[in-house]
Amino acid sequence: MSHKVYNWQLKSDMIYKYEESRPKKQIAWVFDTNKCIACQTCTMACKTTWTCGKGEEYMFWNNVESRPYGFYPLGWDVKLLEKLGKQEWDGDKYVGRTIFGSGEEGEELAGITPEDRDWAHPNIGEDEVTAQIEDGAYFGLPHMSWMFYLARICNHCTYPGCLAACPRKAIYKRKEDGIVLIDQERCRGYRKCVKGCPYKKAMFNLMTGRSEKCIACYPALEKGIKTRCVENCIGKIRIVSWLSTPDKAREDAPLDYLVHIKKVALPLYPQFGTEPNVYYIPPIHVDAKYLKQMFGPGVEDAIKTYRGNDETLVGLIKLFGSTDRIIETFKVENGNAIGFSNGEEIVRVPVKEPVIIREFHDEKLDVYRHSVT
Amino acid sequence: MDDKTFKKKVTRRDFIRVSSTGLFLAVSAEPVLSLLKPAVGIGNPLDYYPDRDWEKIYRDMYSYDSTFTFLCAPNDTHNCLLKAYVKNGVILYLGPTFGYGKAKDIYGNQASHRWDPRCCQKGLVMFRRIYGPRRVKYPSVRKGFKEWADKGFPRDKDGRVPDKFLNRGREPFVKVSFEEAYSLAAKAMVNIATTYSGKKGEERLKKQGYDEAMIEATHEAGTQTLKFRGGMPLLGATRIFGLARFANSMALLDEDIRKVGRDKAVGARGWDSYSWHTDLPPGHTMVTGHQTIDFDLATAENAKLIICWGMNWISTKMPDAHWLTEARLSGTKVVTVACEYQSTSNKADEVIVIRPGSDTAFALAMANVIIKEGLYDEKYVKSSTDLPFLVRLDNLKLLHPQDFIRDYKQKELENMELLDEGKMPPPSLKQVKQITTRKLREEWGDFAVWSKDTGAPGVITRDEAGQDGNFALEGEYEVQLIDGKKIKVQPVFQLLKEYSSEFTPEVTSKICHVSSSAIVNLARDIARNKEKTLVPVGMGPNHFFNNDLKDRAIFFVCALTKNIGYHGGNIGSFAGNYRGAYFNGLPRYLVEDPFDIEIDKTKPPKIKKYYKTESAHYYNYGDRPLRVGNKLFTGKTHMPTPTKFMWFANGNSILGNIKWHYDVVLNTLPKIDAIVVNEWWWTASCEYADVVFPVDSWAEFKYPDFTAAVTNPFLQIYPKTPLKRVNDSRGDIEVLAGVGKALADVTGLNNFKDYWKFVHENNVEVYLQRIIDGSTALKGYRIEKLEEDAEKGIPALLMTRTYPKIMGWEQSNENKPHYTKTGRLEFYRDEDEFIEYGENIPVHREPVDATFYEPNVIVCGTPGIIRPKQPEGYGLDRNDLSTEVRQVRNVVVSPIDLVKTSHPRRKDGFTHIYITPKYRHGAHTTPVDTDLMAIWFGPFGDPHRYDKRMPWVGEGYIDINPVDAKALGIEDGDYVHVDGDPEDRPYRGWKEGTEEYKVARCMMRARYYRGLPRGIARSWFHMYVATFGSVKAHETNPDKLARNPLTNYQAMFRYGSHQSATRAWLRPTLMTDSLARKDYFGQVIGKGFEADVYCTVGAPKESFIKITKAENGGIDHPLWRPAALGFRAGYENEAMKKYLKGEYI
Repeated sequence: MSHKVYNWQLKSDMIYKYEESRPKKQIAWVFDTNKCIACQTCTMACKTTWTCGKGEEYMFWNNVESRPYGFYPLGWDVKLLEKLGKQEWDGDKYVGRTIFGSGEEGEELAGITPEDRDWAHPNIGEDEVTAQIEDGAYFGLPHMSWMFYLARICNHCTYPGCLAACPRKAIYKRKEDGIVLIDQERCRGYRKCVKGCPYKKAMFNLMTGRSEKCIACYPALEKGIKTRCVENCIGKIRIVSWLSTPDKAREDAPLDYLVHIKKVALPLYPQFGTEPNVYYIPPIHVDAKYLKQMFGPGVEDAIKTYRGNDETLVGLIKLFGSTDRIIETFKVENGNAIGFSNGEEIVRVPVKEPVIIREFHDEKLDVYRHSVT
Repeated sequence: MDDKTFKKKVTRRDFIRVSSTGLFLAVSAEPVLSLLKPAVGIGNPLDYYPDRDWEKIYRDMYSYDSTFTFLCAPNDTHNCLLKAYVKNGVILYLGPTFGYGKAKDIYGNQASHRWDPRCCQKGLVMFRRIYGPRRVKYPSVRKGFKEWADKGFPRDKDGRVPDKFLNRGREPFVKVSFEEAYSLAAKAMVNIATTYSGKKGEERLKKQGYDEAMIEATHEAGTQTLKFRGGMPLLGATRIFGLARFANSMALLDEDIRKVGRDKAVGARGWDSYSWHTDLPPGHTMVTGHQTIDFDLATAENAKLIICWGMNWISTKMPDAHWLTEARLSGTKVVTVACEYQSTSNKADEVIVIRPGSDTAFALAMANVIIKEGLYDEKYVKSSTDLPFLVRLDNLKLLHPQDFIRDYKQKELENMELLDEGKMPPPSLKQVKQITTRKLREEWGDFAVWSKDTGAPGVITRDEAGQDGNFALEGEYEVQLIDGKKIKVQPVFQLLKEYSSEFTPEVTSKICHVSSSAIVNLARDIARNKEKTLVPVGMGPNHFFNNDLKDRAIFFVCALTKNIGYHGGNIGSFAGNYRGAYFNGLPRYLVEDPFDIEIDKTKPPKIKKYYKTESAHYYNYGDRPLRVGNKLFTGKTHMPTPTKFMWFANGNSILGNIKWHYDVVLNTLPKIDAIVVNEWWWTASCEYADVVFPVDSWAEFKYPDFTAAVTNPFLQIYPKTPLKRVNDSRGDIEVLAGVGKALADVTGLNNFKDYWKFVHENNVEVYLQRIIDGSTALKGYRIEKLEEDAEKGIPALLMTRTYPKIMGWEQSNENKPHYTKTGRLEFYRDEDEFIEYGENIPVHREPVDATFYEPNVIVCGTPGIIRPKQPEGYGLDRNDLSTEVRQVRNVVVSPIDLVKTSHPRRKDGFTHIYITPKYRHGAHTTPVDTDLMAIWFGPFGDPHRYDKRMPWVGEGYIDINPVDAKALGIEDGDYVHVDGDPEDRPYRGWKEGTEEYKVARCMMRARYYRGLPRGIARSWFHMYVATFGSVKAHETNPDKLARNPLTNYQAMFRYGSHQSATRAWLRPTLMTDSLARKDYFGQVIGKGFEADVYCTVGAPKESFIKITKAENGGIDHPLWRPAALGFRAGYENEAMKKYLKGEYI
């Protein structure tokens, strides 16, 4: 059974197991790869909150991979790219195959089941570059040898591969916020979702016999607090907020601004067809061909925009991370970047941190405020 | 559509699951699941899902009863207040406080939320350490030590401890009570100090073979053989720095033993920290007179160009990495100058790769371009540096007015306060100007420049610092001395111009293995951005023997281009929480007079300094000074004493992860009578200790304290926490007080107890407020309010002159003098020693081990500009290139000839420079063996340890260029041996086939790493070393886990460690008695040794190695699995190749 649905990232229709049914609001993320430092604070924030139980030893719902040699699990995208074969774009419209309808006989979709040992070595490829650095290497942008950091969580897709693959319909997408969850009571551990998720974000727990996945920290989101990975990101690369469909994009909604208006944030492997809701500002120093394979045809324009020193864009990106609450709308004015929740100001930061000079001699206290003490 | 659901209660159910490997597993029955609902009745899961009650599970997991705040502060320069989420009295998880944007000073200045959040991955997994299985659970005493103590400390004829009591690392530990542990430590101290006091003590030390200069330095006080160290003492103003206070109180013991009266009594010795870690950039002191120029990293946005020079910003300054990336977003250009494509390089606009340790030459080459093309700021150079000062070419000394003006009278200086003989300086709080003694001022004198107005030499004094004038920078002139003799003189600038002109782009590109265009372009870029270029120089270049020279040369470039002391233009060095001077009121605590203790909390204490400091590098070096050939190179003010007792806190680096670790353990520890350690986690330091005191983790603090950082502007309080102690631990300061009380019991001297009175009364706020009230950057704060804010996750702000704080601001913006004898940035060193060693100008010296060329050779082609004493002058053979002799060898080679020379080990199959820098997954050794951290530290981590050879779930590894690896027959993932110079690595006197050699000889995984050029290999420096116990376990445990069954110590190497290839090094220019420098605290300028300011610093990155394959990487295949499957660089399968080229679209 399959239905025709519209995927705006592909600018085309595609087939999916279920009818198109978008949530009332969609939680979404933007990660600026140019700010990511691969510190794995996000990884540990998530891990220590949710997956420190028995059976979850190898499980990291959030991870950061150094690209191109980093994978968790091993080769997850390379194997799927190989299985799908050539993925064709006609300008910004996708005309190739998605994972849906591409599966083997009896399969809902094309997927790869990782072997147990593929989950070992989560930080393989850390900092490894594409080409040998020779003696006396000296280069500018784009780098002739490069690596960059790709932070990954579940994408809470509009057309989730995991949800389509589950034979028991034990995976669902919440109507109020678009979060995709595996029902821990109804799951029977068939692991079709582990195979079906192209991003390998559904993971099996050997002790409980159930599969688990990133839950978008809904207990926090329900309180207006950011997801743990975003809250703890010290690189300040992440923002989590609500994404509208392209036709309803608002200039003052940060996700809409970055994704639909400035088009500086792009989806990960859109050609898989799931319409993922985590968007990446691509790394400005990396080979464009590789990036287009990963983020689609909008890469070069996105990089150009990012480097354009646009006041509002810069202000918003500097606002990332500065509060633990979800910013719903924002504005940049008079050298300040301001975040609002429900119309109320919740955070304000200067786009440039001020320089303050103190008096040398505080007469009242009779103390000399030396710099060199 | 509504579905009919049915509930079927199932109380017990066995699941049989088939895993992908075909094994059957019975999942044990737990009544986990009681509801089974069929798929019937659910329509479109995108649209509607009927029963979502189960979502409660995760809401429960997230929910908590309460929160509290603690300060996470390993030696990482950050210090982050963390929020702990607690349920049922147990920490569930951690997170940031978002309180940094609320930090205020007393004037109402406030930081912004750009600073938030602050935490890191290591901090977030901290609770797995707080509750972890390798916590030090109770006071632990080594079996043999306890026997020795119980028998009354018997000794051999020469005073030595009998060997049978010295089986450190091979014995179990005994649990004792705190009282007993305090008593043991106290009794040991008394016994040791007594044994080595007086003439008898001296004789024993002589019989034991200590250098006579070291014995003399004890002045017959046995307390001087007791060494105390609080690791990076700024990390705890009272509890860590308290070890220094304890050392001061030892004067009470000395007086009791020798009965010399309080005026002649001597305390113990304190060891250094900043200089111990080789974090002190010693050239900073030479150029500026004080510890280090640095800046809060938030100032990045004020710069137009940032050069991360051997400084891996995004990996070592993680919570402040965003300042760099955000500055870049706003148009700042970022350049990395490093010996590899660093992690920070992926944030750089330009990447420059350079040979490690060749930074001085690179800087000189840039200076050459700047001078040649006239790009320097003449006004700044003339006003702020010694570059216009005249140098006598007859003796290489600076020209002084008294040389050419008969009966010259020195000027009365206005910008300095002078102390007469015997007069003490005022306390820090009252210090306005720079202060020195009249004697020193007279010794340093005044100086001369060549006046273009008069065509004659003119007088210039310290008071003219910051003032420009019409004097010459270039040229050679003739001066008639008062005795009639005519001599030639040149301005310092002229000398440096001539010397740096040898470092043309072409010649330098060969020396530095750097692009010649990079030299030219970067030089021009810096010159184009005057006051707008920030140059954070890291520990990459600083951990080489030539570190002081590289500072002098880089400072030269920054001085030429007016990039010192501005918010957008400055030089920086960042490592460790070193600037204890922020709390310049600390003397009120550290050196309170133990004979006259102020017990009235409302009164200020009386100060008397009884303890002395020395560098721990001599202990590292085998507990000896640098005596080579016929010369003792260690100056008198630096001279260490024999180490017979050591007590350290918060510092695994002084033993567990020490450079030359196995030499220290096997050759030096046997000479030390007692080793006492404060730790909360069982480290390799504990493995070799005698008494281990379990202390509180930060989350369990019951006593407040404070700290600060050089990279951020915050004053950070450690709040007391409500968390119940997990083990039987005490606060660090409680332990000090406990031993103090035990000493009072043993000696009958009550002052030992009273010295810690406010700890006994649980009122350490008294000490803290005393420090605040005496500190120029803190005065005005009340400790109670600071504590209150900290509990809410809000720090305060240090009140130095600027925010963000930067060093050099007053000098460049208000024309205040630098802390040098000239009052200016100094590039010329005319002290006798510097002239003797050939370093009167900042010359390029090759590294002392980590080089392809002749080690430590001076590179200079200009005759006469330096006149170093040759090896023959020290009674040494010119061709002796042994490791000891190298340190003092002043042989000169021209820049063009350097690359024709060769490291002596190259002919023996040694091929690689081996560096051991810091990385993102470590903060020293503090967090690395935490299970979650170890799994992510590098590519080999594996929670299941499929390969049982792995010592732990993560392990140490060496990064090698794949071309080099292949040539050596090494595959990605193989186990390899890493061998340093066999002359003394892994330790002096090693013998093949012995147990010691097996434990010490390093074996680790190899990783193919294209980011390094050929000939450079690298291991991160953090991992837990192999010990006797861990190796035994690795070889006898059925699952091969390298965990010592006697102590639970967990190693991350099967054998040896990165420290098997490193050693201690002592540098002559860092051990003079004549260098002028500011004291650690305050505005006083003295000369000679000053711990953490002017001091020998070691050279951890100096190693030249041989790498040989030991074992295959794989278990069922020669290659380790990811390489066998074709996902590794150099082994790519077809799909990988396509993917790498982006060919799937």
